Amino acid sequence: MTDPADILVTGDRIELRFPARGDLIVLARLVTSAISARAGFDIEELEDLRLAVGELCLLTLHGSDERYGDLCLELTVLGDAIGVVCTLERAAATTDVPGPEGDEIALLSEQILDALVDEHGRESQDGSVRAWLHKRRAGHAE
Amino acid sequence: MDQEFQIEERAGTAPPVIAVSGEIDVATAPQLRECLHRVIAQGDSTIVLDLLGVTFLDSTALGVLVGALKRCREVGGDLHVVVADPRIVKIFEITGLTNVFTIADSLQAAGAS
Repeated sequence: MTDPADILVTGDRIELRFPARGDLIVLARLVTSAISARAGFDIEELEDLRLAVGELCLLTLHGSDERYGDLCLELTVLGDAIGVVCTLERAAATTDVPGPEGDEIALLSEQILDALVDEHGRESQDGSVRAWLHKRRAGHAE
Repeated sequence: MDQEFQIEERAGTAPPVIAVSGEIDVATAPQLRECLHRVIAQGDSTIVLDLLGVTFLDSTALGVLVGALKRCREVGGDLHVVVADPRIVKIFEITGLTNVFTIADSLQAAGAS
């Protein structure tokens, strides 16, 4: 059931698109904080989502040439949960071989997402990279 | 936006203390990497990294810390991390890095003098 005090309700969807640059991921985190608060998440969950969405963006950029693409972030309120999809569009795979630190960071991102959200995944599709997560509010776990 | 990112190298302490404040993420982590590598290259094998003023930290920051820790240990030293904010401690915990780093909740506990 949706709390009537919530500003955002089931089905509300917010999209943010920005050049796929690491220094702009802060925008995704800021928007996530605002949307999560309006969707009824408490402060701890909001902080978890802010961190998780930043990691989602990093995972989406991992292994891609981020100079030539856009990151598209879609946040959808789904009843007691929020769904976030991050898509890297129009970017080619990088010609640089990811260094050990890059792989290590991707592994850390996966660990953080494992701990903070209910479900997450990443796939490549039609030349685009897509990563997603799903997080329920506390007290609404199945 | 949260507190502005800043790095301060505190002179005259042994081991040297590097204090960071603000958000350490993919945009700011390279500055921290450069600072840590420079201090290690100057011959300081053990460093105290004061993260008490850090308000946000992501996997990129953790990657920089792990890289610096490896460099310190290669030359017989260590990287002591000072962190007290439960949100920041939680990130170290969920990534298993509390078992990797020497973590203290105060500069005194980290052996900075």
